[in-house]
Amino acid sequence: MVLILGGAGAGKKEYARSLGFTDADFSTDVSDGKPVLYDLETIVRDVDVPFDALLKKKLILCREVGSGVIPLDRSEREWREAVGRLCCALAKEATAVVRVVCGIPTVLKGKLPCISD
Amino acid sequence: MLILVTGGAANGKSRYAESLCMRAASPRFYLAAMQPYGAEGEKRITRHRAMREGKGFETIERYTDYASLVLPARGTALLECICNLTANEMFDENGSVSDPVERVLSGVDALCAQCETLIVVTNDVGSDGVSYAPETEAYIAALGTINRALAVRADTVVELVAGIPIAVKGELPI
Repeated sequence: MVLILGGAGAGKKEYARSLGFTDADFSTDVSDGKPVLYDLETIVRDVDVPFDALLKKKLILCREVGSGVIPLDRSEREWREAVGRLCCALAKEATAVVRVVCGIPTVLKGKLPCISD
Repeated sequence: MLILVTGGAANGKSRYAESLCMRAASPRFYLAAMQPYGAEGEKRITRHRAMREGKGFETIERYTDYASLVLPARGTALLECICNLTANEMFDENGSVSDPVERVLSGVDALCAQCETLIVVTNDVGSDGVSYAPETEAYIAALGTINRALAVRADTVVELVAGIPIAVKGELPI
């Protein structure tokens, strides 16, 4: 599994497409067998995500939400905390972690992946 | 030696900063700037305490005025965190607002002079694209100014992303 992080609109999906994945590969369902999971930060708002199922994905795209002013709303703070901790746990298991900034991928762990992986 | 550790919430800043401390000289002081408000604050403090347990830290709780703090001995200090310290220096309980920049920076300078290694944890609060009330915007601006000034002073600046340290300035110590 490769974890792809970045801010909103940073180019995470575009980067996934550049690896050869098509829109038919994308999904927000953790257990539908599709290789690319996106909007992880939104999914965890509603569902208790089974960690093992996440590890079966090829790519996981998640927005970085931990920067900025600490939200006044408690549930928003807990959500930031949950997304951050989940990404720490996923990064540990990932073969590669890529952060997209202005559409440019930077490797935080492992090597830049290619489609044959 | 000054090391600045930044990164978003829940990205592993504290864990990394503590592992830096464990490689640096004893004695080790944990300088807690966070005021424990309510159950959630207590929970965070409990979590951080558990992480530090058995690592030989002496905890000093101090919410403002680090410029006049005298450390009991020369060694390593971990100051956590600049976001809380800045808010504490800026807003008092009576609702008055003052400029925190000089007080925070002189506090860090005073600590730096008393330590072999000072590790300072901060956060980037300017990256959420939300507009806030003027006082909050002033806080964001002040913290940005402080972070930049600290980065100039620092030998090393590290950003934590999903638990992974990235060198922003200098080389990664670990």
